Order: sequence, then C-alpha cells, then structure tokens
Amino acid sequence: MVITAASTVETVQKRFPQAVIEAVDFRDEQTLVLRPESLVDVCTYLKKSLQYDLLETVTAVDWLERVPRYDVIYQLLSMPNQCYVRLKLRVGERREEHPAVPSVTGVWAGANWYEREVYDLFGITFIGHPDLRRILMPMDWTTHPLRKDYPLNGFDLPEPHWGGQVPYTIDPGVGQQTLRTPQGRTLDERREKVNPNQEPGTLKEDTQNT
Amino acid sequence: MQQQEIANQYTTPVGTSFSASDSAVAPRFIEGDGERRADSMTINMGPQHPSTHGVLRLILTIEGETVVKTVPDIGFLHTGIEKIAEAKTYHQALVLTDRMDYLAPLCNNLGYALAIEKLLDIEDEITDKIKYVRVILAELQRIASHLVWLGTHTLDLGAMSVFLYCFREREMLLDIFEYISGVRLMTSYICPGGLQAEVPKGFDAKVREFTKIFPARLQEYHDLITNNQLWLERTKGVGYLSKEDALAYGVSGPTLRGSGVVWDIRKVFPYSGYEQFDFDIPVGSNGDVYDRYLVRMLEMEQSLKIVNQALDGMPTGAYRVSNPKVAPPPKWQITGSMEGLIHHFKLFTEGYRPPKGEVFTRTESPKGELGYYIVSDGSAKPYRMHVRAPSFANLEALPRMIEGSFLSDVVAAIGSIDIVLGEVDR
Repeated sequence: MVITAASTVETVQKRFPQAVIEAVDFRDEQTLVLRPESLVDVCTYLKKSLQYDLLETVTAVDWLERVPRYDVIYQLLSMPNQCYVRLKLRVGERREEHPAVPSVTGVWAGANWYEREVYDLFGITFIGHPDLRRILMPMDWTTHPLRKDYPLNGFDLPEPHWGGQVPYTIDPGVGQQTLRTPQGRTLDERREKVNPNQEPGTLKEDTQNT
Repeated sequence: MQQQEIANQYTTPVGTSFSASDSAVAPRFIEGDGERRADSMTINMGPQHPSTHGVLRLILTIEGETVVKTVPDIGFLHTGIEKIAEAKTYHQALVLTDRMDYLAPLCNNLGYALAIEKLLDIEDEITDKIKYVRVILAELQRIASHLVWLGTHTLDLGAMSVFLYCFREREMLLDIFEYISGVRLMTSYICPGGLQAEVPKGFDAKVREFTKIFPARLQEYHDLITNNQLWLERTKGVGYLSKEDALAYGVSGPTLRGSGVVWDIRKVFPYSGYEQFDFDIPVGSNGDVYDRYLVRMLEMEQSLKIVNQALDGMPTGAYRVSNPKVAPPPKWQITGSMEGLIHHFKLFTEGYRPPKGEVFTRTESPKGELGYYIVSDGSAKPYRMHVRAPSFANLEALPRMIEGSFLSDVVAAIGSIDIVLGEVDR
C-alpha cells in the first residue's frame, strides 16, 4: 500500500480515534491536531509502522488571546515514502506559566535540541526530556523571549552588568539624602524603582535566593 | 556501550512540575567520577576560536588526547531573527533571511520566497524565466558556499594555500551577484513574487566567464588535496556518523549524503524548476570526513552542470509576477497609472496580506535541508516565522561524531559538517 500524507492522516485517525482532534488540509499540506497525552504513541506508530524516520523540526506558536495558548508543531518526513505530515498540539488550557508536553526524544534523538529551543524561547516544558535547559539564551535568563508578551526591544539589564555604577541620569534628590521614608531615597535601592524597565527576576535579591 | 554510559551520566531528569524558580543551572560536570580517569580534564574550546567556524563553544572532557564527552554551547549569535520577523511585513522580513546562513544568502531568500508564494497561492504565476534565474543563482550560491567551506576546512587542517585560491573564485561569484543586485553578499534579490530587479543584459556573459574557468580550478583543488597523503590521514575514518544516527538526529545535506543516505530535496520534492535539469547526487559510503569532503567537491561540479544547462535553456519573460496585489508594478507606472500608484503605495506601507494558514517549505541549501515554517493570521506581518536551520540539526550530531576520537579530529569534524552559526542561533 502506498503511503502518502493523506493516507497517513486516515490511518492515524482510524487507529487513534480519540487522539486526533481534527485534520487540516491547507495548500496540500496535511496537519493532524492531536491531544498532548497521546503524542508519544502516535509518534512511535508513525516512526515504526509508517516510516516517518526524520523529524524535521519542533517549534511552537504563541496565540496570546486564545486559551490553549500555545501550538506545538512537529514536522515529520518519511524518506522511503517521500511524504511529510505536520502534527500540532494545543497546550496551555489551564493558563499555566509553563505548559508541559511529553517529549519525543525517545522516538527521535534529534528532538533533544529542538525541544530545548522551544523550552528556552516559549517556556513549554517537555516531560521526559533528558536535559532540559536553555540553549540559545544565556543560562540564567528567566523569561521566554519568543512569547508575544515579551517586548521586541527587550529589557534593560541591571546596572551591575555594566560596571556597577548608578547612571548619572538618576537624580539623587539633592537635600533628601538623609530621608529613609519610602517616598524619599531609601537605603536598599531596589533596582525597579531606579529602573522600572528591568528584566524581572534579575534583581540582586532574587539571584541571591537561588 | 561505553559512549552511551557516559552520555547517560549527563542527564537531569525533569519532573512534571517545573516552576519558574527552577531557573536553568549551569551544566554540571562530574569530576573524579568512577568511570573516568583521574586526569580527565574539562577544557573549553571557547566561542572565540579560529577553527570553530563562528562563535561556537564546545565544552570538551578529555583524557589525555581522547575526547570523552562534548557539550556544544550555542546561542552566542542569537539575534532574535524570528522575533523581529513578527514585527516586519513579509517584504521587509526578506532582508532578515539573508543574515541567517550568511554564506549562502540567496538560498535563504529562495526558501523564504517559495514559502510566501505557497502561502499566497501564486506558485502558478511564477514564470519560467524567474525559475531559471533562481536556479542559476542558487547553484552559484552553492558553489560559493562550498568554496568557503573548502577554504576554511583545509585551512583548519593545515592546507593553508587552498584558502586563497577558493576566495579567488568566490570573488568572481560575488562580482556576479553585485552585477545583478548591487550587493555582494546580502543580496535579498530573490523575493516573494519573483526577483527584485530585471536581470541585466551582461548576466549570461558574466556567468559563462565563470563557468569556463571553474572546472580547471576545481581540478586544481582536487590535485592539491584529494589524494594528498596528509589529507587522507587527517580525514579518513575521522568523525564517523552512521546512517542510523544521522537519521535519528535529523541531519541533512552533504553530511547525510556522506553517510550513505541518498536524499536530496532537489530530486525528491523539486522546486523552482529543478525537475527540468539533469544532474547527479554524489553520495558517500563511509560516513567519515573524507566522504563528506568528496560529496561537496562533486556537488560543486554538479552545480556547474546545472548552471550550464540553465544558461543554455534560459527563457524570456517577466522577472516578476504581474499580480499587483503581491508584486509592486514597474516604477514607470507610478507616474502614469493611478492603480499603479495605489498598488505601490499599499504594498510598501501596508504590505500584502496572505490568507490565514501555515506552510512549511523545504529547500536544499548548501548546508542541508532549509525549512521555513510561516504562520499567517491574515495580517500583513508574519505571525510566526520559524526557520528550520540545517546547521542546527547537523551540529546536534557533532558529539556523536567525535566522542572517542582525538582532539585534533574535533577540528576536522566541525569543518566537515560545515556549520554556519548564524543559522544555528538565528
């Protein structure tokens, strides 16, 4: 039996009827929308029985106003059958900060770095991933840049990264140096009052707690 | 086997609850472990290194001269191209695509153009002339990219004179790109809807100048290196990647073909008229550095063959789709026709709006399978542009290639994968 993308969609729908939410055909490309918990089963079946041996990419899309906020996309390629199919998961129904998705590193070893990239840039964690840590951003970055609510221009880094000096543009408030009230200049200069645009989670006290 | 055990030690199992306070920790290197010798060292092949082909950091654990474990650390060239593309219109985002694989910008442009044309459903309107010119430029770009690969790879391994010869040829190619687009490197010449400008009249002559001298030059490189005893000792049997590993890691391009897998997207999913050209795909058998070297050398020959065929059969036609909703009308219409003016205005202030949907197109770039995943929400800016960079997957297979071999083989293996960090990090 010749396996094509369309026949793959049918086969998967027949074999995993409760796993498939819908099948989309746009510009001759087949997309299967799956339930996250059945991802590994479907992927194992696709790899072992339908010879989808190449995982081209794993990526995610952030739909900010929609309730399952993220779409996790898997693009699969079958070399013997020369066809490709896309799997999509909609994650984030409970509006959680770090939605969890099962990892497919057991099926394709190459998923390792792709899932790390999705974790790094979107914050989606992968259950069962052997080594889930940041890959593109610096190791101690706390936020996830490709989310739609992350500003395009980024945040200002806190002063210590630039030499530890308070910039000249901050007015020390002449005549108020001895004030200790919250309205005046207080002894522990919380950086967010100095620089409201600072990357959350990078204040000195936050780093000292970890 | 032993490699697997070593790899297993570097695992941090992630539980189901992963809160924001578990910030990513630095890699933990287990020292003085029972499995390893007491004198094993962890050294850093830092982001600044003449042989890492860009800002790649490798954390190597070596015992004596043998590399026991490698952890690549990437992200030094991460410029947020995918994020910026969400803020630009489709035509503006084209310029970003040049900068990812900066050694083959026209190939990146081609992949992007094909993706947008698929999304807009104007693939039928692309004329043969556009297809032929795109093929010629992509193949010339492939030769240019392989020349850089050859020059830097041989330079790393000590054959320093090849570098200048390769760049001598590359200058001719960059002159051709400058002739058609005005820019040597970041041309952005291939755009969704066709080409940015009409192909100038001397293009055919200039390319034939190059194709006339290049076979002899390629023979020079073969004479210098291919049967050179030193080269054979440095590259034969080094950096072995098995077929199964290559497929598991999603490796593509010459790295995959060197391991014996016959797979070239130009043959399997032909795009932009490649089905009309007659060319072979070199495939290696041993999966080592030498085979990948030979694959790329022979690929340059085949690219030249394609260029010659395309030049001989070049059709006439428009350089741009005549759909005014997508491609700006010719400049003279701005002063002559009201519709031309309005279309021009709308296209450059607002941009064209593809229908809602998503596409994933794949092309064979010199590094491997370059994929563009573009999601459109009906507005003039891409909602999400993800680039499937071939060097990202190829680099993931690097530890598999070098664990267990010598430190000097690391340099040979990195050169043979031909990574471009701009692509890996985007």
